[in-house]
Amino acid sequence: MIAAGFLPVDSFNVVVLASVFILIAVGLHFTFGLLNVVNLVHGELILVGAYTAFQIQESTGSVVAGMAVAPFVAAFVGVAMERGILRFLYERPLDSLLATFGLAVIVRQVVQLLFSPNPRTVNDPIGGSFVVAGFNIPWWRLVIVLTMVAVVVAVSQVMTRTRFGLNARAAVVNPGLAETMGINTGLVRAGLFALGSAIAGLAGAMLAPINTLNPQFGLLFLVNSFLVVIVGGKGSLRGLIGAGVVLGGSLAVLQFVISTVFAQIIVLLIAIVAVRVRPVIGVRWGEWRQRRLRVA
Amino acid sequence: MTAVLEVDHLSSGYGSSTVVRGVSFEVQPRQVVCVMGRNGAGKTTLLKSLMGLLPFTGTVRLAGSEISGWHGHRIKAHGMVWVPQEDTVFTGLTVREHLVIALSGQDLERGIEAASSLFPVIGDRLEQEAQTLSGGERKMLGLAQALVVDPKVVLMDEPTEGVAPVVVEQLIPAIEALARKASVVLVEQNVDTAVALGSHAYVLERGSIVESGNIRELHAGGVLEERLAL
Repeated sequence: MIAAGFLPVDSFNVVVLASVFILIAVGLHFTFGLLNVVNLVHGELILVGAYTAFQIQESTGSVVAGMAVAPFVAAFVGVAMERGILRFLYERPLDSLLATFGLAVIVRQVVQLLFSPNPRTVNDPIGGSFVVAGFNIPWWRLVIVLTMVAVVVAVSQVMTRTRFGLNARAAVVNPGLAETMGINTGLVRAGLFALGSAIAGLAGAMLAPINTLNPQFGLLFLVNSFLVVIVGGKGSLRGLIGAGVVLGGSLAVLQFVISTVFAQIIVLLIAIVAVRVRPVIGVRWGEWRQRRLRVA
Repeated sequence: MTAVLEVDHLSSGYGSSTVVRGVSFEVQPRQVVCVMGRNGAGKTTLLKSLMGLLPFTGTVRLAGSEISGWHGHRIKAHGMVWVPQEDTVFTGLTVREHLVIALSGQDLERGIEAASSLFPVIGDRLEQEAQTLSGGERKMLGLAQALVVDPKVVLMDEPTEGVAPVVVEQLIPAIEALARKASVVLVEQNVDTAVALGSHAYVLERGSIVESGNIRELHAGGVLEERLAL
């Protein structure tokens, strides 16, 4: 009854929050899901994207230009970290965890030095909203949803239809065999890190207009990014989308019913249950798929 | 004749544990050299080192180039390929995608045709995920991937190990076809197969070469059987 109270005016927020969860997690899908780096600097790559949008807005007056540049800046920062430090630590997960934690602190402190801890805002490039069938839809939130869809489709196409995607899928499964088959796995890993970082930067720039920026901005998204990737199953884009819809959608609905803190606790419980039952679902899915392959 | 592969005092291993100790040998063009030895003698470690998967000391020259410190992709581009014993396929990739990777931009249709004429089953299963192939079919795919790229040297790790005799009958002619085009370093524990395919043998024990020579002479003198006996 209470939940029905927000319909239809705010129910688009369920779609928006699910989209945000997916958008922030797609970048981590590459660095953590595929490359196995427990990438604690992911939130700071989102932060870099957001502050790039802010800086270019301040310098040129064009927030759209900032959003276009943000993925490239984040990709550059990500690749510099990967080539400079993380590439030596792929076989040492605990060391890479410590390295990404340290890098995250450094990036946060640099942002604080450059921009101060004071809150900053990025303008909504479009502004306003429209109403469809009683649903109030802010234009910029619709753009976020559409961007998420475009990013997911593009990522899926890159991974399944391009030579880079094929090499990446091989290198992720068996790097040693991939090397001996002629794949430059170092280059592939750098490419995957660049892609993941670019998407994180894009997410940061897109989300900046609906949030207040400060150097802790990236931390808001870090935990939920990991939740989505882990619940969805590392390396599975389809699983990631499902987890984003379930976790983001649940949080959006729950926030209308109970306080945000309790809503987040319930979302964490949902994530724990999902992680517990996912292997069983995975086995059933695998059996069904094997049966189908045998029939074919 | 100039050797296509020259290995000089190669030592390698895992971490602080040395497995291969000071191994030296040469492979001439279109020669099949068998590396033999009991389990744990260092045969696979030697091949992995040659393919750049393990660091080593000593020198290795491939077609005149010193390849110490090279990564696997560069070694493959220089003409040496590896047919591993285990973990031969990428989970989730189809047979066709395996051939695409192996061919590295070369003519795919010609490659598929060559692979299919060698092993018709490969041509029939192009769209099948490679991990669903049988063990023998995976060995065929591994050999096909090596054959389609016209390599200078093929490192082959127990290609007939653990497969049915009927599959071995298909693999042997393919290895012979490969040996007519390229030099082969064949790790093989089955003496009869090694004698049938190879011209020269090196026997490893605890990472060092303890016997070497013409494989038929070593076989006739009972050396191989004695060294490989449990």
